[in-house]
Amino acid sequence: MQRVSSNDVFDEKAMSDMPSEFLERIQISERPKDAELQAPAVGYFRDALVRFVSNKASVVAFFIICFIIFMAILGPGMNSFGFNEQNVSLRNMPPKIPLLTKFGIAQGYRVLEGRQVSFLTDTDRYPEGSIITVFNRRAVNGVEIADVKVDYYKLMGAEKPYWFGTDYLGRDYWTRLWRGVRVSLVIAFVSVVTNLIIGIIYGAIAGYYGGAVDMVMMRICEIIQAFPRVAGVTLFILYFGTGLFSIIMSLVISGWIGTARLVRAQFYRFKTREFVLAARTMGVRDSVIMFRHILPNSLGPIITRTMMAVPSAIFTESFLAYIGLGLQAPEPTLGVLLSDAQKVLLNYPYQSLFPGLVISALMVSFNLFANGLRDAFDPTLRGT
Amino acid sequence: MIKYTLQRLVALVLTLFVILTIAFLVIRLMPGSIYENRELPPKLLATLEDKYHLNEPIIVQYKIFIQNIMRGDWGTSIALRVNVPVWEVLYSRIPITLQLNLIALIIALPLGILAGILAALFQNGKVDHLLSFMVVIFISVPSFIFATLLQYVFAFRLGWLPIIYNASNLGGSKYASIILPVIALMLAPMARVTRYLRGELIETLSSDFMLLARTKGLSRFQATVRHAMRNSFVPLANIIIPMFTDILTGSLVVENIFAVAGVGGLLINSLNASDHPLTIAILIFYSAISLLTILVVDLSYGLIDPRVRMGGAKSEQ
Repeated sequence: MQRVSSNDVFDEKAMSDMPSEFLERIQISERPKDAELQAPAVGYFRDALVRFVSNKASVVAFFIICFIIFMAILGPGMNSFGFNEQNVSLRNMPPKIPLLTKFGIAQGYRVLEGRQVSFLTDTDRYPEGSIITVFNRRAVNGVEIADVKVDYYKLMGAEKPYWFGTDYLGRDYWTRLWRGVRVSLVIAFVSVVTNLIIGIIYGAIAGYYGGAVDMVMMRICEIIQAFPRVAGVTLFILYFGTGLFSIIMSLVISGWIGTARLVRAQFYRFKTREFVLAARTMGVRDSVIMFRHILPNSLGPIITRTMMAVPSAIFTESFLAYIGLGLQAPEPTLGVLLSDAQKVLLNYPYQSLFPGLVISALMVSFNLFANGLRDAFDPTLRGT
Repeated sequence: MIKYTLQRLVALVLTLFVILTIAFLVIRLMPGSIYENRELPPKLLATLEDKYHLNEPIIVQYKIFIQNIMRGDWGTSIALRVNVPVWEVLYSRIPITLQLNLIALIIALPLGILAGILAALFQNGKVDHLLSFMVVIFISVPSFIFATLLQYVFAFRLGWLPIIYNASNLGGSKYASIILPVIALMLAPMARVTRYLRGELIETLSSDFMLLARTKGLSRFQATVRHAMRNSFVPLANIIIPMFTDILTGSLVVENIFAVAGVGGLLINSLNASDHPLTIAILIFYSAISLLTILVVDLSYGLIDPRVRMGGAKSEQ
């Protein structure tokens, strides 16, 4: 068989003179025999999703966040109490959850210390069945006293169980807690989204136009950032009062600068690329180039940063409540609940426990979720 | 370097001046007179307004305000400790707050560094996973939640430590009462140092000079501490100093929880009592501290790592 070695110079004449029986048709109607791509093409967000899902901690965090948001929406409506419904005769009731009483927790019991033993049989003071155990009997000044564990619900004559107890005004703590979570989340999300919008527009303009515009805009950022956060937020709220809007706005004062810097850096990276040049050549308007062509390329880091900002907004809100600049009564927030509960921590620790658990779960989950997003969007980890 | 430092100091003073101006405007432009809420006879009110120049135009008030501050007169407290100069009220509180915060930072450092080394040495092992878990918890959960938890468990339930701060100067009991607030404040910075050092060390451990160090016969631990650690220390300084501002912010609330007689509790009280001159002075104190830490960080870049200074000089030419 006559062969043409690859080293030989290609001889067109020899090819055309070659008898046709030496030639074999390899391909005419079939598809190319190259190895086909095994997997479908994976886009940026799809790839990020695949890698996010492989990070177990972040997925769990995501579901915890979903659960808390779900409870914030539906929780306050789950029982018959209103968030501002006061019942002054039933103050600081202990938690009573009917499903859990079998296991010996949240039974609505409370230990009353130093009660006079002779009164224990008095059914006016202690209604029938309200005394669970009497212990630590002792005599003080000739009077026999003891510590009594009572069913506080029977003692106070409460009919409906308060799942998480009540606060110092007899308001249902379950309803207030989830309502507080709702308000806190609204404060966090609205402030973060506002920061995002301002930051994107500001950063996009500074980064896209560059030069003197960028110089002036970045100096403005530096001046605002030089303000210590505590002083800025405190003065803002002192002036505008402790309404929902002013608390949200106090988180916006300097919060947008981080996003603006990030977006600006991304615009510097992308604005000299060919696709931007192509778009400009075709006469696309600046605003369209900025927000339709360049911005989507930097969505990954922006989303990550936004998620990181949520726990810090929740923190600042509770911080404000602690220093006495929390949202006005009667509307609860996590911070207001925590700082109110702090005052009665030693007597009614459960009032600190529930908001403390929820805020901790929220903060940890958002941090883990944001870490997962950061890794998922990290281009150096792509395809791994 | 000196010129740069001076420039920065001027900028710092200017920033403080702007904050002071905004604080003045906020307090004076708030609806109503400062003394409005108090039920005072009109004549007394007029005397008070005269004394504090409240009946003058705002520009004149501002001039008087700034002139007084230039002379070191921050005014007198109007609600918490009436007629006591603000500076005197603040002066006794500042050392306590600084002491608490510095102790927290100083204890957090070695613990964080140690945990970071351990996590890097046993990378992806059980120790590392446990430490990573703790780091996430300590960084995420706010210090005031830890403060509440510690106070309830260790002070109230177990009774090991005092529930609130003990202001007596008699050594032992004072330091026992400072333990819980310090722990509450140090957890977050400690975790930050650990997380940072772990990442930094893991990167360094795979470099060639570490292989050389091992080849010379150093054990893994020796090589890490003597060679890898040095490289990580340079950037470490730049995350430690700004953490002081974070501790100070957390300290505002933690001090209040443990009833520490520091600046934090004072700010809360003065806000609640509308003691505005005091509030302004405290906010200026906090601002000055956080601006100073930023300045120290920027200057320390050059001091810790001479290469930065050289680079800066060249780029200026």
